[in-house]
Amino acid sequence: MKNDIGQAWLVIVLSLLFGGALAGVQAKLQGKIEENRLAETLSQIPRLVPGAQSGEATVLAGRSVYRAMVGERQVGWVLLAGGQGFADRIDLLIGLDVGVKTLTGLYVLDQRETPGLGNRIVEDAWRGQFVGKTTAAPLQVTKAEAAVQSEIRSVTGATISSESVCDIVNSTVADLRDELAAEAIRE
Amino acid sequence: MEYLSSLILIAVGAAIINNFVLHYFVGVCPFIGVSRRVDMAFGMGCAVTFVITIAAFLSWVFTAFVLQPGAPLTAWVWQTFSPASDVTVDLSILNYIVYIFVIASSVQFVEMYLRKFFPPLYKSFGVYLPLITTNCAILFACLMIMKYVSGVTGPEAWDLGKALTLAIFGGVGFTIAIVMMAGIREELDHCDVPVPMRGAGITLIVAGILAMAFMGFTGVDRALANLMK
Amino acid sequence: MAQQDGPTPLERFINGILPENPVYRQLLGMCPTLAVTNGMKAAMTMSAAVAFVLICANIVTSLIRGLLKPHLRILVFTLTIATFVTIADRFLAAYMYQMSKQLGPYVPLIIVNCIIICRCEVCASKQPVFTAASDAVGQSLGFALALASIATVREILGSGTWFGLRVLPEMWPDWVIMVLPPGAFLTLGLLLGTANWIGSLRAKGSQTSQEG
Repeated sequence: MKNDIGQAWLVIVLSLLFGGALAGVQAKLQGKIEENRLAETLSQIPRLVPGAQSGEATVLAGRSVYRAMVGERQVGWVLLAGGQGFADRIDLLIGLDVGVKTLTGLYVLDQRETPGLGNRIVEDAWRGQFVGKTTAAPLQVTKAEAAVQSEIRSVTGATISSESVCDIVNSTVADLRDELAAEAIRE
Repeated sequence: MEYLSSLILIAVGAAIINNFVLHYFVGVCPFIGVSRRVDMAFGMGCAVTFVITIAAFLSWVFTAFVLQPGAPLTAWVWQTFSPASDVTVDLSILNYIVYIFVIASSVQFVEMYLRKFFPPLYKSFGVYLPLITTNCAILFACLMIMKYVSGVTGPEAWDLGKALTLAIFGGVGFTIAIVMMAGIREELDHCDVPVPMRGAGITLIVAGILAMAFMGFTGVDRALANLMK
Repeated sequence: MAQQDGPTPLERFINGILPENPVYRQLLGMCPTLAVTNGMKAAMTMSAAVAFVLICANIVTSLIRGLLKPHLRILVFTLTIATFVTIADRFLAAYMYQMSKQLGPYVPLIIVNCIIICRCEVCASKQPVFTAASDAVGQSLGFALALASIATVREILGSGTWFGLRVLPEMWPDWVIMVLPPGAFLTLGLLLGTANWIGSLRAKGSQTSQEG
């Protein structure tokens, strides 16, 4: 027993040394990492809500939302949304106008869909379809060209991935629509 | 009911759709090394499942209560020492070290348990039992739990039930894959494999074909989720 | 000249690259080899991370090799490796955020990468610092070579690019299977077979030249 304790001193000394080193690394890098995480979302806000210059994070109904601001004036909303895709989880940023009446943009944060097929939901052309759609009616996916205002043409060969994105958009907007309209900072 | 359906989705996902070996590439070393005979493979699979469950349980407890930013136990200790500060203590930098120690201890525990209650099984494992510590699958399960627990709040955060489901069925998936591979290799022993491909080479090719087959399960969890809605 | 027990630093360095290549000859560290080789960028980042951890762990282990007791040494190796992997992981998250997200859980999985524990056990715990360091550098180069070979095949056939630059003409139908899990297994299996075959040819060649 004494032998074991005697031998454990090396492990204890090493643990203390390494613990100190890690604390130093944590102190130095944690800020940068947090910054990276936020920057990814905040940098998309100007693209998702046209004219917006900055974003303010807030929490509504337990979910992360961002106000798109120009100075002190709010010009739109950016919502963090996610759900089951075809292969794995899909995480999205949805841009809306202040009154939650129209979609102003869509950005895919994270997806693991099939490369070359479901993967193509990240393409600008496909995501551009969402710009200008009203939130009055839920979006539907169609394989042909979109005939009605509330239709989105699916990615060829990846209907389920396209439907997943629409489902996520529809359910997020439906869930948060009332709260967002009430919480908007009006002039 | 919704909780049960989310558990079923996690279970099916971990065991079949996102199989640890054939989709995430963890646990490939024993998969190639130990899959010669079906009975050994099944024993290894069961041992890994056992270790994963214990390790996942301990990791979840440590992550949720000690390591994550704002963890209850650490916050309480910090409050008793410096009541005035409102700093959130974040010990998550120690995550990996804690996990690997938890895994090493779980393997030790299983070793002692087997040696006491199943001596012939313990003997047949030989050197492969302590090698389970370096099995990527176990650390991978802990990392998955960390992803859904550390710093995550609200309905997205995993409680102990979901963490254990992932662990157990991840182990089950590993067992399924390794037993399948053992069955195929027993047949391959009678085949005329080219000399350069013998051993690891042909095993990897077979694993590739198995992975292709398992790819067919993609989308099953989505259909299941719709079914259970 | 000090007495060297075991291979010299130069021998350790050269051995690590091809003769005792960690992936093709020792069959270690297959998890990252299969997981991150769907693109050259990810593969090279991973081999850089492994190189950092391997070199640091080998040096530290070699420095304390006189103090290691038999049944605590695995514990000490693991503690050292886990610390350096945490440092590498945090560093990647801070300065290469997108790549860190892409590599995901495979960076912390370096902790249980058999290559590093094996080198600590076989070389660093028994030989002086410079030998251990050259062993680490050699093995890292061998690992990088192995990852590069697999990543090249998978990326070119699977997306027509190399390091993100288009190398195959647009009309090439990307073999998407190559960047998915089955492609990883198939590529590694075939390349392993090829490596074995080349090895056996050279062995036969030296055998006939010895007999002749």
